[in-house]
Amino acid sequence: MAEPAPTPRTETDTAPAISLTGVTRVFGSQPAIVGVRLVVGRGEVVLLRGANGAGKSTLLRVLATALSPTYGGGAVLGFDLVSERDEIRRRTELLTHRTRLYEELTAAENLRFTCALHGIGPGLVPAALERVGLAGTADQRVGGFSQGMRQRLAIARTTLRQAELLLLDEPYAGLDGHARKVVDEAVLAARDTGRTVVLATHEATRADLATRTMLIEAGRLHPNPGPPARSAVPR
Amino acid sequence: MKSLRLAAAVAAKDLRIELRGRHAAGLALPFAGTLLLAFGLALGPGRTLLEAAGPGLLWLALLFGSTLLARRAYEAEAEDGALEGLVLAPVDKASVFAGKAAAMAVELLVLEGSVLVMVAVLFGLPLGRGIAVIVAALALGTVGLAAVGSLFGVLAVVPRAREAALPLLVMPLATPVLVAGVKATELAVAGRGGEVGSWLGLLVAFDLVFLAAGTLVFEYLVEE
Repeated sequence: MAEPAPTPRTETDTAPAISLTGVTRVFGSQPAIVGVRLVVGRGEVVLLRGANGAGKSTLLRVLATALSPTYGGGAVLGFDLVSERDEIRRRTELLTHRTRLYEELTAAENLRFTCALHGIGPGLVPAALERVGLAGTADQRVGGFSQGMRQRLAIARTTLRQAELLLLDEPYAGLDGHARKVVDEAVLAARDTGRTVVLATHEATRADLATRTMLIEAGRLHPNPGPPARSAVPR
Repeated sequence: MKSLRLAAAVAAKDLRIELRGRHAAGLALPFAGTLLLAFGLALGPGRTLLEAAGPGLLWLALLFGSTLLARRAYEAEAEDGALEGLVLAPVDKASVFAGKAAAMAVELLVLEGSVLVMVAVLFGLPLGRGIAVIVAALALGTVGLAAVGSLFGVLAVVPRAREAALPLLVMPLATPVLVAGVKATELAVAGRGGEVGSWLGLLVAFDLVFLAAGTLVFEYLVEE
């Protein structure tokens, strides 16, 4: 069973991956991001840098439609952030430090549930587990996994479907060298297949993966703090 | 068909989690048992009074137990942010509601079986006389309590809601189930099962209203 084909929308196929105009998100009376204007082209790998609490997670969650903008608006992959949420959700994947796994389920069962949610055949699960080095623990409950194993399993989940936009929020947090390599490989695989990635991290060391680096400070985005780190052309 | 498959996947997932963790059973069953025992002790040894109070205590134990089951059903979603995964899945949220309600109904049936035995033993309720009517009332009450619990259980875990929101909402809303269930059970044990039609009708109406409400409103409760 293949994932249902997203609605064909020619005009959206050529639209920028991300186009935000003055997006502000307020929690209570506290603005988390303020007047964010941003255009990201298809196939770019954007490194979003910023300190803890700068607004990286809020921006990514707005892009994933987990949060609505309080003011402003925009489009992701050509679809409106508010009125076409489901179209965006079909095409994006958000990975956060909260792995969204069920502790009482095994690694394979967690991925099979994701398959059921997205209408994907469960036959992809063994390969996804193999990809992140968890094939040997497929039938073990996630409750016994270390944080690194959980994060690898969450990455395996992102590889079940070829999301057009990958939003990674602090994906390296708490990971050892091997697990960090798994994240790098996922980013490179997305880049090499022309998909768009926004990688939010407070670490400065991942610029080599990116085609562009941006800085967010106190909720305000500085889209062009320096020259592109590398060519946008896939390897 | 796709919606049914999704609802079945959600229900199977919830039941598997409960079977392995026994979180809800470990909470709701002892709570219901303690509640019945405490009321039994408070009412004293008079058999007539205990028999008269039995139907009410049976349904009170189920109502309180159902709020615990509802809370637990969403705590599993909140533990590692899994609820956000459900929200961000491009699926009909009514199917997610249906799946969660189905799983909760199964858990409630298990609770009801145990509570029914406890009430029969502790309060000497003569269940044999109208067991078919009692089972019908319990089945209909189960649907209603599962629908209300699955709809508002999410309030126990969403950041913008207060922890007390779940019982404060569910208890008053489920009053028709409590009243109709108690009346139907009283009539059944009194051997007047033929008179329960209107009370069972009220339970059916409650089920339909809250299944419809859940289907329409659940999406708005879980978003953000």
